[in-house]
Amino acid sequence: MQEISKTLRKEALYLSHKCQDGNLQSVFSCLDIVWTLYDKMMNWSPEKALDDDRDFFIISKGQATLALYPVLIEKKMFTMKEIESEIGTFNSRYCIQTDLTKFQGGIENNAGSLGHGLPFAVGIAKANKIKNSPSQVYVLCGDGEFCQGTMWEACIFAGSKQLDNMCLIIDDNDSVGAMVSLGDMCQKLAAFGFDTRSVDGHNMYELEKTFIELKELKNGKPKAVIAHTVRGYGSKTMTDHEIWFHKAPNEEELELLTKEVEAF
Amino acid sequence: MRRAFLGRVAEMIRNEPDTTFFTVDIGMWAIRDVLKYYPDRCTNVGIYEDGMFSIAAGMARRGLVPTIFGIQPYLIERTLEQIKMDFAYQKLGVNVVGTGAAIDYSRYGYSHYCAEDVQLIKMIPGCEFVAPGSAKQFLQLFNESYRDGHPTFFRVSDHPNTKYDVDVTFGKANIIQQGNKTTVIVVSVMLDEVMKVCEGKDVTVLYYTTLEPFDREALANNCPTDKILVVEPEYEGSLLYDIHASLPGRALQIEHVGFPHEIFRNYGTYEEKMEHYGLTAKNTREMLNKFI
Repeated sequence: MQEISKTLRKEALYLSHKCQDGNLQSVFSCLDIVWTLYDKMMNWSPEKALDDDRDFFIISKGQATLALYPVLIEKKMFTMKEIESEIGTFNSRYCIQTDLTKFQGGIENNAGSLGHGLPFAVGIAKANKIKNSPSQVYVLCGDGEFCQGTMWEACIFAGSKQLDNMCLIIDDNDSVGAMVSLGDMCQKLAAFGFDTRSVDGHNMYELEKTFIELKELKNGKPKAVIAHTVRGYGSKTMTDHEIWFHKAPNEEELELLTKEVEAF
Repeated sequence: MRRAFLGRVAEMIRNEPDTTFFTVDIGMWAIRDVLKYYPDRCTNVGIYEDGMFSIAAGMARRGLVPTIFGIQPYLIERTLEQIKMDFAYQKLGVNVVGTGAAIDYSRYGYSHYCAEDVQLIKMIPGCEFVAPGSAKQFLQLFNESYRDGHPTFFRVSDHPNTKYDVDVTFGKANIIQQGNKTTVIVVSVMLDEVMKVCEGKDVTVLYYTTLEPFDREALANNCPTDKILVVEPEYEGSLLYDIHASLPGRALQIEHVGFPHEIFRNYGTYEEKMEHYGLTAKNTREMLNKFI
């Protein structure tokens, strides 16, 4: 695992420990995707965080907001000092889900209720077309969110309005597999008019290559990347034990998990 | 009222490039030209209100002014979480214009009725609720509020007042007349019926077309007794909190002419329903006689 992947995971672990909450399995499954977008793909920086033509990152799987903070710390939007001192406290700006009304840039949507982020991102993409803006929209969804009807409603709209300025990324950590079978998502989304790709969601090189390839396809089709990931990727304890679906590490666990990440 | 709204939409789409309009598969004939010439900003999206609301919120996030047109229960009840999360929580604006009012689709059954709309929207902070009593009032209220950055819900009725068509202001009640024996709060399309009873009587009549935010000041300054009759074309009691908050510490005696809190399992005409549930001048007179 690349050094940055380890750094981001250790920061997420630490923040979860500080606020004693979080869904770390889900955070670890998508961190490499979020980093690749911010580091390699998006027309975005802290200085451009309010630019009208910036690219948008919409987090639809809001339970993984702890994946966003480390990325924005490494990108110098926020500081670890600020977040660690207040995360989860009464008047904090930072918590398990985030409220954009408390920020001047950096956070683009309020998540928490599943099935909202994708249609919201589709609305931004359509607005970008109306405004003739070069802004691209990247939206990170969980595979489990596709049980919600609003996700498919958004897909109908994106396909029929030819929103090739948006990219849907499904963090496919097989959370839905325990409930129902979604079948072949590439095939399903292709039927809705998407250009689709299936990648290893922990291989940053493959992710970057795929995102670039899709961005260059100006063919009137929205893009979808099904990123195959592993819940808790980066820590054997976390991948092996389902309790880490929703659990925050105590001092001892923080030390253990941090060591596992370092050795991964 | 519908025609006035759709005419306003056509004008808005033609002249204001930051506006968008989405109809959930109704009213297309009236705006066929703008649907044809401005397909990017004026669309019949199909029948999916909840996803549409989130999409409209995304547009509002980018500075556009979206307006959605559909049928009241689907615009408000199917989408309640989208209203809460995508608009209210994120402080984004949208205009939601719903036909059907409470029982306009009188033969369609409970699926198409929405006497609970006022209470549902008033529960979500930041939302606005407007119930014009005529086409003129719709335009006055829409023009004042459609760019105010709030989620604003417009209840469009097919049964407007025809005799009493006063000018209205968003967020303000109209003092139709002042008297000493009681205060009548009348909402939206009920004004004609109420005035059949109250005209010339020694009672105050306050006419409300903006139900959220509720004009508490008008009530506080125009309630000479503790007796209040509310005549409202929604579930009775929808304004109780505002009435009490307007008059703190007062031991109020309140009577209602409104829809009872029950599932309507009858059909028939609009007039039959209004008669059945007592939203009439006759029932208003009987209720008022309890006070004066």
